[in-house]
Amino acid sequence: MKNRLRVLRAERNWSQADLADRLEVSRQSVNAIETGKYDPSLPLAFKLARLFETPIEAIFSDEETGLAQ
Amino acid sequence: MICTPNNAAAKRYQYRFITAMAFYTFFLCAAVWIFPRYHPTGVLAYLLAILPALPIIGGIVVVGLYLAEEKDEFQRAILVQSMIWGIGVTLSLTTAWGFLEVFKLVPHIELYLIFPAFCAISGFASGILKARYR
Repeated sequence: MKNRLRVLRAERNWSQADLADRLEVSRQSVNAIETGKYDPSLPLAFKLARLFETPIEAIFSDEETGLAQ
Repeated sequence: MICTPNNAAAKRYQYRFITAMAFYTFFLCAAVWIFPRYHPTGVLAYLLAILPALPIIGGIVVVGLYLAEEKDEFQRAILVQSMIWGIGVTLSLTTAWGFLEVFKLVPHIELYLIFPAFCAISGFASGILKARYR
């Protein structure tokens, strides 16, 4: 699954460790999600959406629909 | 058995698992020391013989507790995947070894060695999975 986590992080000047602290997960988890190697559960996706104050669809998209800009 | 992150659930897991293994070492040494010297019989012999298995079973419970307490879903996924690898490889190897034993092609392996083998294989798988997601 594609995502805009790296961009959203950069906009806020957060490192992966900063985001991990805010999500209460490990830095490896953030890296795995960001690189598309691990798809988060719905609760974690909602948590990300709340944190970045944006809809889930603006963060994640499947391969077919493409990423919302 | 597993590589874990540095959080409260992981620290509790490490403390509990190390405690269980300390009890295992103590009970095993006690059983090995007492049996040849006092030759226990009946129920006492069964209780003494099974004593080292109890902390091992406790270790399995400790892993279950960690899975219940770990809030990081990715870390839980890594553990579950590594244990699936451990189960699959251990069952495959022991099944193949069992048939080789039937036809007297390999020596007998004691059943109590299967759990440490499962732990080692799961730990190895955990390392590979973590490296893959790094």
